[in-house]
Amino acid sequence: MALSTTVSQSKRIKRKAPRGFLKRIFKRQKPHLRLESSCDLLVHLNCLLFIRRLAEESRANACKNKCGIIKDQHVLAAAKVILKKSRG
Amino acid sequence: MEGSYIPDSEPTTRTLLRRLLDTEDPHTPRGRQSTRASARRTPLETPFSMRLRSQTKTTTRRHSHGARSIGRLAHIQTSGRLKEQTPRTLLENILLTAPESSMVVPESALKPVPAPQVVQSPSGESSRGSLELQLPELKPPTTLAPGLLLALGKRKQRLRLSEFQQGVDQELPLSPGPLTEPHGNAGASSLTSSLNLALATPPVPQSVQRPGLARRPPTRRAVDVGAFLQDLQDTSVALALPGDSLRTPVATLPTDTVLEDTQPFSQPLIGRSPNVRHSLPCPSSSAERTVGRRTQSSGPRLQNNSPGRPDQLLVGKAEEVDALAVGFPNTSNSSSGEDGLQPLQDGVGEEAEDVMEESLSMSDEEEAAGAQGSARAEEPKTHKEGTEAEGSWGATEAKELEGPSRDKDTAGRTGSPELTSITLEFQQARQLEFLEPAQPTSTAVGLFRQQSIPAPSLPPEPLSARRPPRARTAGPRLRQDPYKTGLSHYAKLFSFYTKMPMEKAALEMVEKCLDKYFQHLCDDLEVFAAHAGRKTVRPEDLELLLRRQGLVTDQVSLHVLVERHLPLQYRQLLIPCAFSGNTVFPAQ
Repeated sequence: MALSTTVSQSKRIKRKAPRGFLKRIFKRQKPHLRLESSCDLLVHLNCLLFIRRLAEESRANACKNKCGIIKDQHVLAAAKVILKKSRG
Repeated sequence: MEGSYIPDSEPTTRTLLRRLLDTEDPHTPRGRQSTRASARRTPLETPFSMRLRSQTKTTTRRHSHGARSIGRLAHIQTSGRLKEQTPRTLLENILLTAPESSMVVPESALKPVPAPQVVQSPSGESSRGSLELQLPELKPPTTLAPGLLLALGKRKQRLRLSEFQQGVDQELPLSPGPLTEPHGNAGASSLTSSLNLALATPPVPQSVQRPGLARRPPTRRAVDVGAFLQDLQDTSVALALPGDSLRTPVATLPTDTVLEDTQPFSQPLIGRSPNVRHSLPCPSSSAERTVGRRTQSSGPRLQNNSPGRPDQLLVGKAEEVDALAVGFPNTSNSSSGEDGLQPLQDGVGEEAEDVMEESLSMSDEEEAAGAQGSARAEEPKTHKEGTEAEGSWGATEAKELEGPSRDKDTAGRTGSPELTSITLEFQQARQLEFLEPAQPTSTAVGLFRQQSIPAPSLPPEPLSARRPPRARTAGPRLRQDPYKTGLSHYAKLFSFYTKMPMEKAALEMVEKCLDKYFQHLCDDLEVFAAHAGRKTVRPEDLELLLRRQGLVTDQVSLHVLVERHLPLQYRQLLIPCAFSGNTVFPAQ
């Protein structure tokens, strides 16, 4: 079966924000800029919302295709829409 | 034609034959057959090929008849006659006869005997070339006398054999012809069999006599190790005997040839063979480094001392090689000579390490006080130049050419200054080591200062100092991993929000999307901050971003989003709230 290739829905998630990771990403992309103290939390929030949108969109895509499993093409189609929406 | 033919054949047919003979049991007929095939592979001159074929046919016929030993004898005789015409025909005969001779086991002890004869006789006539392998069988009749003369006390057995062979040969000529021989020599078959044994086996000893040809790949490795050891040794020699350093002026003359040697030798230092490390403990490895660096780093400052070094070493090496070549005239090949060098160098190199350490510890204080201060100040600059020059070996070569002339001056000095100068070199080289890892960081100079000061005081430090770069090399990998883990963290969140099972490929896609998303995010934030005339990204920028993304609207404020999606601990940090003592945290 395709169990090995599928990832079951995670029941528990960490709500802790990877603040160091976020800061590092920003620093790596824009080494000349500074991120204020609590901005990484807002970035985390933004990322959470983006992920949530993406998840809902891809889920809708999967349901539209009558698929019980989210495939990468579903995610790809959703990403096209959501990345466009989440432009600054 | 044969002379020109030799070099080509050596790598191909001879080595093949030798390998076969060495590896396989002489008793197995298969190996012989294969050798035969390989021998036939050798390009034969057309005029003789016809004759060869005819001979082989006759031999095969005889074999089928069953008079084996006799047939062999006949072959030997015929081969002896034909030898003057073509050694190849002889070869073929030998190959054909060989399998039968291999049947006899006990004579294997005599194997080494005939080989030297063969080798010596061809030395007179180098034309034998590739055929030498099998020729030994054919040779005995003609080469017996020179073989006897040349063969010294070591070859008494051989003498016996030669006598044997002579007797056999004499018997054989008596027989009218190859066709009639079988009947006449049936009685002498036992003798001939023994003879054949001795004759068939020679190829193995041959390989022993010319190790360079048979074992080329190993010799190359040996050269690398040897070069390294020699470098060490030479440094030690220079330390121990100031008089030896006088060689350096000599080095100036053959610099061209010497420098040619440097490249192949110095490069292997980088990719050192592990056994060297084992044999030579910590100090040796540090010395290696220094040597390698010296060749690489050609800063103007270091050149005064360093470039001369390799030359010295090489000169010493060349001298040794020459000496060895004289010692063993047989091993005229440079590769074989260096092969012999290796054991010597092993011993000397280890001694060299000890000497090096002592000298370093001795002269550390002196240098630290005086000359080094000035040298260090200039080194950062020189090092940069060195790194630039590292890429091209040719450049270093050119600079090394300049080296020897300066080296003369150093050579002229008395012993004690030389010691100091050498130690200086070492420490400079060490500092270079420090610098190279440190340079990528912007504070290279500062680091250099910090590292250079402890370096002279602690000789074993280079080892500990060398580790950090390794850790740094491993660093980027680790750095990439956290990025992946961070992305995978959000991918997990994705799988939580979907409330559906998903494929792993989809997860990877999500990670890709996240990567893109972060890129856009950072670009947007940069633009917002730049528009506001700031270099710091503030929460307002993020709020604006959320608003533009349609997440924050007039109905849904940022605080609402924070309350909805972030845990309480983060909410406290984001949403201003009144605390006791009439304070608001976070302050607005």
